[in-house]
Amino acid sequence: MLKDITLGQYFPGNSYLHRRDPRAKIVASVLYIVVVFLCQNLWSFGFLVMATLGIVAVSGVPLKILLKSVKPLIFILAFTTVYNVFFHTGETLLVDLGFVDIYLEGILFAVIMAVRIICLLVGSSVILTYTTSPIMLTDGLERLLSPLKRLHLPVHEFAMMMTIALRFIPTLIEETEKIMSAQKARGADFSSGGLLKRVKALIPVLIPLFISAFRRASDLAVAMECRCYRGGEGRTRMTKLTFTLSDGLLLAWIAAMGAAVVLINLYLPGLSL
Amino acid sequence: MSILELKNVSYAYSVGTPFAKKALDNVSVSFEANRITGLIGHTGCGKSTLVQLLNGLLSPSEGQVLFDGQDVNEKGFDNKSLCFRVGLVFQYPEYQLFEETVYADIAYGPKNMGLDEQEIDRRIRTAAEFVRIDPKLFDASPFDLSGGQKRRVAIAGIMAMDPEVLILDEPAAGLDPVGREEILGGIRFYQRRRGNTVIIVSHSMEDMARYSDRLVVMDHGRIAMEGDCAEIFSKADALTSVGLDVPQITRFMLALKQRGVDVRTDVFTVDQARDEILRVAGGNRHA
Amino acid sequence: MSTPFISVKNLSFTYDDEETEAKHYVLKNFSVEIEKGSFVCVLGHNGSGKSTLAKLLNMILTPDEGTIVIGDTEITRPDMTEDDIFEVRRKIGMVFQNPDNQLVATIVEEDVAFGPENLGVPPTEIRRRVDEALATVGMTEYARHAPHRLSGGQKQRVAIAGIIAMLPECIIFDESTAMLDPQGRREVMNTIKMLNREKGITVLHITHNMDEAIDADRVVVINEGELYLDGTPKQVFSQVDKLRTAGLDVPQVTELFCDLREAGFSLPADILEEEEGAKLLASVLL
Repeated sequence: MLKDITLGQYFPGNSYLHRRDPRAKIVASVLYIVVVFLCQNLWSFGFLVMATLGIVAVSGVPLKILLKSVKPLIFILAFTTVYNVFFHTGETLLVDLGFVDIYLEGILFAVIMAVRIICLLVGSSVILTYTTSPIMLTDGLERLLSPLKRLHLPVHEFAMMMTIALRFIPTLIEETEKIMSAQKARGADFSSGGLLKRVKALIPVLIPLFISAFRRASDLAVAMECRCYRGGEGRTRMTKLTFTLSDGLLLAWIAAMGAAVVLINLYLPGLSL
Repeated sequence: MSILELKNVSYAYSVGTPFAKKALDNVSVSFEANRITGLIGHTGCGKSTLVQLLNGLLSPSEGQVLFDGQDVNEKGFDNKSLCFRVGLVFQYPEYQLFEETVYADIAYGPKNMGLDEQEIDRRIRTAAEFVRIDPKLFDASPFDLSGGQKRRVAIAGIMAMDPEVLILDEPAAGLDPVGREEILGGIRFYQRRRGNTVIIVSHSMEDMARYSDRLVVMDHGRIAMEGDCAEIFSKADALTSVGLDVPQITRFMLALKQRGVDVRTDVFTVDQARDEILRVAGGNRHA
Repeated sequence: MSTPFISVKNLSFTYDDEETEAKHYVLKNFSVEIEKGSFVCVLGHNGSGKSTLAKLLNMILTPDEGTIVIGDTEITRPDMTEDDIFEVRRKIGMVFQNPDNQLVATIVEEDVAFGPENLGVPPTEIRRRVDEALATVGMTEYARHAPHRLSGGQKQRVAIAGIIAMLPECIIFDESTAMLDPQGRREVMNTIKMLNREKGITVLHITHNMDEAIDADRVVVINEGELYLDGTPKQVFSQVDKLRTAGLDVPQVTELFCDLREAGFSLPADILEEEEGAKLLASVLL
């Protein structure tokens, strides 16, 4: 059923990565992305793949689940691969099809690009989204961005919106299911006919859903006011995030990874792209 | 005569996921035609699953659902029309209203059946009469009505499909005594007039005692008891053990008997209790 | 006699009917006094004005006429500051009807912490209050659960915990049991009674379900926006006909005794519970 889907990608666990301060993980995942773009030759890419597999092993998230998250990108991956294979020129001509030539460099480049995209996705999500619950993520973001409040950016409001959205998505999904069943019982048909007919068939679901969402929103606003909510001003938090030595170490690890990549680029220049 | 029957039906949700849950476990039960059956049980006992099996929204994991003796999940059966023949009113049905006018909303079901305009009009008017919705309200927006009126419009939307069996899941939930009487009284008026089959899902013993002819009691995905109201309410202990309360008046008669007054205890309405006490008192006076 | 905690005088609330342009009274010249520490049940049918009363007490609505005094603050005076308003809302917590629409956070204990966080309570103190509030409503083992997987009764108990973590003096339950099944209703009613008896919290329970009024110290019946009946449960429920006129039920035993009195039995009219009724009737019959 719809309501059983897990929100976001959070994979519950208690690994080294799971236990880290969300702020550290947000920064670490940004650092990681930088590292990916630092890689310049096959050696450094080889190192990146090994290091990323190491991070995955530490997180305890099964690789199979991680690769599933790559699925939606298969089209983009296939497209860039094909594009690079056919249109990347180099010195070693392999096949001459007349209208298009395939070079060894082209194939290598295509593979590297695919690896880069996969690493980018798997690595950053395993550091952040797979090992951080949505609420911790929101919390971490709010606190990391809190200096921006001085620039009058609505950081708290944004975090509160995220929290409420996360809280109500399962409720609204459940409600959608209920309304769909109710309209099916009145003979609604959601699964046959052309696109226009199907979109039209959804009107009896969407209207009640919107009305209910607005009703919930106004109920919730009153309830929040009654619980003395008046924005972020003067608000305290029950859970204090504490940035520990281990959190610092996580950043150090990723930084070290970057340093290693730079060194490999410099001293193992072979096979550079 | 039974019109709907479940034979050894089991049903599980989300099979193959960590959330898998068995909602019905080898249930066999039949619903008699032309009567009001109350389907009672506490939350999570499987009653909502059961009614969705009855009108084909769900198909059983195991076992058969028979409508008029035919297996509704068999290939030859016209499953699509089943929801028109077995009308199902969900809990809080007012949240499914969507049309601009009351009239158009009641018309949604009949329209999906492919009826002609004249027939649809006739059905809307009859259904509105059953639930006591004034035709003056036909052009109003359903969202401007009171809570009780909205619910009655939603119920009329199912009644207008003219189903052979009408199932209502908690039709009186959240309403005050007047609202309850309007809804449940309207349903009984409809059943007595149309003479068709009605199944009301409820957890209110008091309401079911007043409005149903027969009771089916469910507990943990199984049928715990079935029979006429008097028969069921005379087993107060068994009802309490499945987490249900007998009506206060039944408890009162049991307490009275315990104190040595020789009264019948299969009493479940105030009128029955008064007659019974007057009978006993009369006997005492004449003795 | 203690001084009233809430004192409502000549309260009126109206809205303008769009079609007839006439003033429609939701509450009309309504006065009532609630004593500190009492458990008062406000009964009325849907649309009788009982929920409007709750919203006026909590300053979600402003009355057209009349005064409301809570503790020693007159909340209807025009120079109420925002801080004053929030202090009133802290003192008078409110639990609403729909259990889904009043929980804010994705984790139970985070939700309970929401109120104290808004009040700027220090983190260690919030932790202590949250743990205590969850223990009070018996939801400690669900502290890390997601609210949408709880039952209706459990959600309402979490909502109650969220209110008591703000240390209110009074809690208004605005039809908080109306959407629950019998099991959930029992859970919530037991919690309400416990808060009143053991924690000394003043309770104003708004409902149309007369079963829930039987254990109250006092029952106030509102009908068409006016104070209709006011007294102990026994005093109120013995007036079977008047309650019927107001669209409300009476306990079945009370109804039976009323019928038997009409049939010539000399029985009291104020019997609410089956045991006391059976005892009395047995002594008459045997």
